[in-house]
Amino acid sequence: MTLNHYLLASGLLFAIGFAGVLLRRNIITIFMCLELMLNAANLSLVAFSRFNVTPGGLPNYNAQVLVFFIITVAAAEVAVGLAIIVALFRARQTTHVEDISTLKF
Amino acid sequence: MPAPLSPITLEVIVLSLGIFLLLAESFSRSEDKSWMARLSIVVLGVVFAWSFHTSGNAGIDLSKAFYSADETALFFKRLALLTTMIVQVMAIEYGGVLARFIPSSKTGAGTGEFYALPVLTCAGLMFMASAVDFLLIFVSLELVTISFYILVAYMRKQSTSLEAGVKYLILGALSTGFLVYGITWIFGLTGETNLFRIAQVLPGMLAEGGRLHDSQTPLLFGIILVLVSLGFKIAAAPFQIWVPDVYQGAPTPITAFLSVGSKAAGFIVLIRVIQPFIGLPEIGPKVMGALAVLAGLSLLYGNLAAMPQDNLKRMLAYSSIGHAGYLLVAVASTGPSLSTLGQSNVAVSFYLAGYLLMTLLSFLVMTVVANHSRGDDIIHFNGLAKRSPFLAFGMLISMLSLAGIPFTAGFYGKFLVFAAAVREHHFVLIGIGVVTVAAGFYYYLRVISAMYWQEPTDETPVTIRPLTRFTIGALILGIIFFGIFPATILEMLNSAPVQNTPIALQTSLK
Repeated sequence: MTLNHYLLASGLLFAIGFAGVLLRRNIITIFMCLELMLNAANLSLVAFSRFNVTPGGLPNYNAQVLVFFIITVAAAEVAVGLAIIVALFRARQTTHVEDISTLKF
Repeated sequence: MPAPLSPITLEVIVLSLGIFLLLAESFSRSEDKSWMARLSIVVLGVVFAWSFHTSGNAGIDLSKAFYSADETALFFKRLALLTTMIVQVMAIEYGGVLARFIPSSKTGAGTGEFYALPVLTCAGLMFMASAVDFLLIFVSLELVTISFYILVAYMRKQSTSLEAGVKYLILGALSTGFLVYGITWIFGLTGETNLFRIAQVLPGMLAEGGRLHDSQTPLLFGIILVLVSLGFKIAAAPFQIWVPDVYQGAPTPITAFLSVGSKAAGFIVLIRVIQPFIGLPEIGPKVMGALAVLAGLSLLYGNLAAMPQDNLKRMLAYSSIGHAGYLLVAVASTGPSLSTLGQSNVAVSFYLAGYLLMTLLSFLVMTVVANHSRGDDIIHFNGLAKRSPFLAFGMLISMLSLAGIPFTAGFYGKFLVFAAAVREHHFVLIGIGVVTVAAGFYYYLRVISAMYWQEPTDETPVTIRPLTRFTIGALILGIIFFGIFPATILEMLNSAPVQNTPIALQTSLK
């Protein structure tokens, strides 16, 4: 297992997440795909941290700290995001993007 | 004279105020929660005054720090504080509309957070102004964005507000994903998250035998992802798809906050993030080229799409994309030398200060008028000059300034932007800029003609609260004053040293 394997896996996760955001039509699924994109970044950060060894022989812990911040922020985002989606569902009885088009270009 | 404050005290006070308001609100028995807004205006005003008496960050080694408090950062902190104060004035004015669209068992329930969250957002904007490490940039950016998700979707009984909230949520989270992935790649290649450290290690990596000597593609990939994400925040085309819907659907004070606060903070982060890269001959021109393309697209899209709009909020949304274009012209005209960096920063800062005054003025007038006419289409402004000459005059000044008429702050901002573009020989951008300014005259003057030459459908005079009247008056005076005496702000900005920037660091390494 080299750094490239991890980066490939994380790139794949990011691409799947991005494709999901563009193609899927259910807001909950879109939201899950967004979380996938954040986790792709987490995976590659940890990989970079393990392979960027500092002169002392330790992994570069900057990245791992950043991962914890990303996890925390993602949790906050999910808490707020799901609340907004639930409120929308109560008002409209739908979570389908095509039904959400009162505001139009 | 007390000893100067450490600059981070300002953020600590604002953050404590936000938490205090949230706590105090749950114990408050009064039905009218607007006291929270009044209290926060007073405290933020004190912090604003205090910001002129801070010690700055002389002697701090920024390559080991997260937080920089140079003059530019302090200037953007003041912009954030001023914006929040005026947004709170608007929020008081908006209280009646807000109460109608919130499901609640008794009057006033559930409106408190509407006055507390802008204060927390302000703290996030202030941290963004000072962030010199990707970690702090990311966390403060998210503090701002997540508070905005809640505020945009605040009116839960109005489906447009919810819809705007969901759209902002999805596209905001998408841009977060891009930002994080971009940071990951920049970290992976340089091993650093601090912008000054990145500036220090990059020249060695690009030199003969360095890690990035043969191919800069991975680094460019990271930079482009970060730029895409910041493009979302500053509402630049082609990442502008969320702007019109979110601006139209959100509560008016929040629209104003989004268009000024979020844009200003996005620009200071953009200025800081590109600094380690513009001095490098292998990467700098490519980054600048990408920014110039974004600038041209935003100018054209924003100004042309604003012309057929009938809803004033939606029109201002497109015009805000256009203004992001002018600001990007100034950023894209940053040359690799220290003096051009200084000039571009001054142009961006001055433009944003003027933009703050005129945009907040137009939204403030709109809030009052929309309260009375129950709508924010341009036809609701018909004959406003007969109903309230004062409000009509305020709107007139803000529209003239947005269009860029001489003797207003908007004109001098555009002048500085074009001067920077001429110096860097961006003649295509200047051409686009001149055409779009002309387009701007058309749609801004449409509002003026509705106010002064159309007959009102409703003759009742519009009543204005004293606090709102005072704020509108102050904003009008500010726009005219800085249009005639721009030197007052410029002197403050020119005193901002560019010595303590990543570019200066690289120059000294050579």
